[in-house]
Amino acid sequence: MSDGSATDQITEASSLARRAWQAAVAAWLVPGAGHLLLGRKRRAAAFLVIVMSALVIGLALDGNLYRVEPDRPLTLLLTLGSMGLGGPYLFLRFVAGYSGQVVAPGFEYGSAFIVTAGLMNMLLVLDVLDIVRGRKE
Amino acid sequence: MSHFFLMTVYALLVSAFFCVLWKRDRRGQIKLFLQLFLGLVGGGILAAWLMYPFPAGPPTPFP
Repeated sequence: MSDGSATDQITEASSLARRAWQAAVAAWLVPGAGHLLLGRKRRAAAFLVIVMSALVIGLALDGNLYRVEPDRPLTLLLTLGSMGLGGPYLFLRFVAGYSGQVVAPGFEYGSAFIVTAGLMNMLLVLDVLDIVRGRKE
Repeated sequence: MSHFFLMTVYALLVSAFFCVLWKRDRRGQIKLFLQLFLGLVGGGILAAWLMYPFPAGPPTPFP
């Protein structure tokens, strides 16, 4: 009796962990996808529009898609922030070869928009994990 | 595009994001959105006003 209950608990915990993992990866790859997987369609749409708007504005202003520069330690944090964008970051960096234009008038503003989009998506990943684990509605 | 316009757009996006993330009810979302938006824009204007006597150099013009 107790063995069955323990097995059920392990199975349930394993299922929860797998679901959390899947939702977190989806949320990281596409902004709002984690919430969509969890059935929060309206919130997912809102997050997709907001995060992608920040990214598109940043790109339109020729902002920097940060990468680590050895002589500038803070670029590590900025790169990690930008990588929060997940799929769009990977596409822009490795497929489109985007890097921004330092001479553009909107370079600093654009960089701020892009990093902010990455940080917002990181918060979405954490939000999805909280929802799956029952810490949030 | 002016610096103020870009700051306002930035404040708009950040406020919209956090009000959807943190609040579920419509009334709470609107209240938080206004608090964040006005705080960000007002804070930006206040910081600019405080820095006004100490210019760093000629402003960079936007095309």
